[in-house]
Amino acid sequence: MDRRTQWLRGVLDLCVLGALARGESYGYEIAQRLEAGGLGAIAGGTLYPALLRLERLGLVSIDWRAGSGGPARKYYRLSDEGAATLRSAGADWAVFVGNVNAIMEVP
Amino acid sequence: MTVDDWLAALSAELRRRQVDPSGPVGEAAAHLRDSGQSPLSVFGPPAAYALAVVDSLRGATRELRRLPSGEPRLRATKITKRYGRSTVLNGVNLSVHAGEVVAMIGANGCGKSTMLRICAGLTSPDSGHVQMRGTVGFCPQTGGTAEFLTPDEHFMLVGAGRGATRTAARAEGRTAAAALDWPGAAGDAEARHLSGGTRQKLNLVLSQLGDPDVLLLDEPYQGFDNGTYLDFWQQVWHWRDAGKAIVVVTHLLNELDRVDTVLDLTPRSPR
Repeated sequence: MDRRTQWLRGVLDLCVLGALARGESYGYEIAQRLEAGGLGAIAGGTLYPALLRLERLGLVSIDWRAGSGGPARKYYRLSDEGAATLRSAGADWAVFVGNVNAIMEVP
Repeated sequence: MTVDDWLAALSAELRRRQVDPSGPVGEAAAHLRDSGQSPLSVFGPPAAYALAVVDSLRGATRELRRLPSGEPRLRATKITKRYGRSTVLNGVNLSVHAGEVVAMIGANGCGKSTMLRICAGLTSPDSGHVQMRGTVGFCPQTGGTAEFLTPDEHFMLVGAGRGATRTAARAEGRTAAAALDWPGAAGDAEARHLSGGTRQKLNLVLSQLGDPDVLLLDEPYQGFDNGTYLDFWQQVWHWRDAGKAIVVVTHLLNELDRVDTVLDLTPRSPR
């Protein structure tokens, strides 16, 4: 497994919450938001299980809606608990990244 | 593999694991339609993706690993066992709580099977003792079946030892067999005509008859094909959720991050 994939593994759920903080969305569009955000292509086999976990933990709420001329889509929205998790874990992550940068800086 | 074939295979895999396929399949279908990509490149093989979905729904994943909160079911204290001059087990401790899965690992010949047999009360330790609270099911690595009996006769024989009627034992055995993707358990083939993998399924079914509190499983999946192997671990998580205490002897390390506790019997120093 390459390094980027390993990094992403630890923060994908937070990235998904972050993508949903920009408005409710469905799976494929979330993947596009993440890719547009520079995270690379996220395989569906990784994204949807992560969404299911967030759903089970109550961090997102879901809503099935009939699509226009297509199959129904499952929309995800950030729950209050999800927003709170994103704030606190996001802050932890920022501190972590700062520490990693500092220790990797060549003196 | 066409999109429709892939979706049908995913649906079958989810149904086989008692998960309603409509949600995950509908979502995958929408994604494939939107992206226009091939299902194998987006989601991988149906069986593997189904397993990821099931794990996500049921929470049998590392980040949700729980501390054992149930009452202690099995406690083995300072178990020592020698064969001739060779000390196989030297002061081994093991405790397993309700709702906990322990993997017992170690090199060949380090005493994994011996330790499990001591826990089951089938072998006596030279010193140390085992406390057990509740009923026990034991699945040996080999043996354990009778050559000239059919699966149904096995279910009734073992069921009788646990106080079940013939009808109840047969029904329970067949249900457990179906969960291991073995519908043929209802047939009249004697055990000697079953393949090695199927005989192991029979052993595993027998160990769980009568709903024991503690399950001791000695590499029970040998000879299983991949699908059944995945079903086996699903069954283990299911037992854990039902509050069973489970010990699995294994040499397959890729499952270790999914169990609660690992007991490594590899000797620390040369003996």
